[in-house]
Amino acid sequence: MLAANSIFPLIYAVTVAFQSYQVLIPVPHRFIGLRNFEKIFSDDLFWSSLGVTAWFIAGVVLLQFPVGFGLAVLLQRLRRHQDLLVTLLLVPTIISTSVAGFQWVQLFNYQFGPINYLLGLLHLPQPTWTADPTLALPCLVFVDFWQWTPFMTLLLFAGLRSLPSTVVDAARIDGSTGWQLVWRIYLPLLRPVIGIAIILRVLMAFKLFDVIYVLTAGGPGIATENLAFYTYVQGFRYFDMGYAAALSILQLIAVAVLAKLLIRLTRRASAAMAKE
Amino acid sequence: MKRQGLTFYDLLTYAAVALALVVFLSPVLWMLITAVKPPDEWLTTPPILIPSELHWANFTDALVTWGGAKGLGDSLIVASLSTLLSLLLGVPAAYALGRFNTGGENLSFTVLSILFMPPVAVAIPMYLFWSSLGLLDSYTALILQYTVFNLPFISWVLKSFFEDISRDMEESALVNGATRWRAFWQIAVPLARPAMLAVGLLAFIFSWNEFFFALILTRANVTTLPFILPVLMEGHNVLWGDIAAIATLGALPVVILAFVLQKYLVRGLSFGTVHE
Repeated sequence: MLAANSIFPLIYAVTVAFQSYQVLIPVPHRFIGLRNFEKIFSDDLFWSSLGVTAWFIAGVVLLQFPVGFGLAVLLQRLRRHQDLLVTLLLVPTIISTSVAGFQWVQLFNYQFGPINYLLGLLHLPQPTWTADPTLALPCLVFVDFWQWTPFMTLLLFAGLRSLPSTVVDAARIDGSTGWQLVWRIYLPLLRPVIGIAIILRVLMAFKLFDVIYVLTAGGPGIATENLAFYTYVQGFRYFDMGYAAALSILQLIAVAVLAKLLIRLTRRASAAMAKE
Repeated sequence: MKRQGLTFYDLLTYAAVALALVVFLSPVLWMLITAVKPPDEWLTTPPILIPSELHWANFTDALVTWGGAKGLGDSLIVASLSTLLSLLLGVPAAYALGRFNTGGENLSFTVLSILFMPPVAVAIPMYLFWSSLGLLDSYTALILQYTVFNLPFISWVLKSFFEDISRDMEESALVNGATRWRAFWQIAVPLARPAMLAVGLLAFIFSWNEFFFALILTRANVTTLPFILPVLMEGHNVLWGDIAAIATLGALPVVILAFVLQKYLVRGLSFGTVHE
């Protein structure tokens, strides 16, 4: 039963991907070879959705990692209440995206939202945020940042805590300052954990769907339609199952490659820990 | 290192952590405030920070009029049953994998592929799978679907846990005539309790919050909280206070669980990356 549930979708998706299968057109499905895949590469909407996906991935690497790492180092410096503070910070990660989405709909509200009210007090322009074609995507990248940076912090913090204290103490005795500690000890020793945290989050950012659905539904226009959302639109709005399946397979391959990389890193990490 | 009161850097650390708490928690706080505002204070300029009275009627409206009670109940049924089922199947599976190396090296790859499969990529075959069984919009479908997602995660984390705990106790029990089954139940399972709590908590959080498959597989019969929230947010006459109340109820159980099981949450979420 469980095996069927995980293997069946794969086989089915592969067979459908080679067919012309449009639910709304009452023509028998037929085998069309690679034509669904050829279509992908000449499809402008595909490339634009890939661009949106890239934004979210860039958000993970360029924003979530540095801020998450910084917070982890800061928490490590605190002497008390570390677990409590981590859990408090994790609230955005723990709650449902639907709940989080509602919070941001309120905050981004053009007319009555607290953000625009504060901007008004400062006589700054009050944008429409998620309804603005140029701002919508940065807004979503920020919401993803808000939701998942605490998770990044947690992973890195757990890594920091597991570092052998002898190494850190030795560095301190040798007169390392805080910055040197970060650059010469934390970053190099944590490399495997950092790798895992980043790949894990990149994989999650790659398949991101909920935030987009709840906050913008891909709009305005197609400004926030990422690859996952575009696949959903093709499959469940235009009911072009063959094309959606082809898009799915492309994503599965990408994810498989990333996951392979993740495993290699995990193995190296546990080997490194075992040595110490 | 000597401790000599608060340094400048300590103060900076506190300030930065406090700032992070404000950024990550203020959207949550704003939702809580809205949830107890009387209707004429939902949309005002300037936004009202402290409601004139605690309007608990939002909660009764949310529960009774807007299906919050059914939503809570459905979420509870689906999340707890799928968590229970996943543990029931996952713990013996993990034990088998950890002790007898069933599946070998390829297991972690298979597990990870299932974990990181973009949900969109399997949505179409899954939909057809459940509809061919006549189980769309049923508790069974959602519970089993979530079990399918939780199971690989649970067996993956617990596998490495069972590998780490010593075999000696079990082996001496076996020598003394205990069956393998008894060794498992009376020795391995009690030792693994903290890890089981950690993964069980995460499985519960996942099932409680899941949105995408609730959207695809259910309609009117099973309405989990993450599913009804976006529906209520559509349209022009958005009842902010009532929705905030539902959202709060949706966030409360997982947040409370997370705080009660703090220690396990931190350990569970940093799964695989660090052996503590």
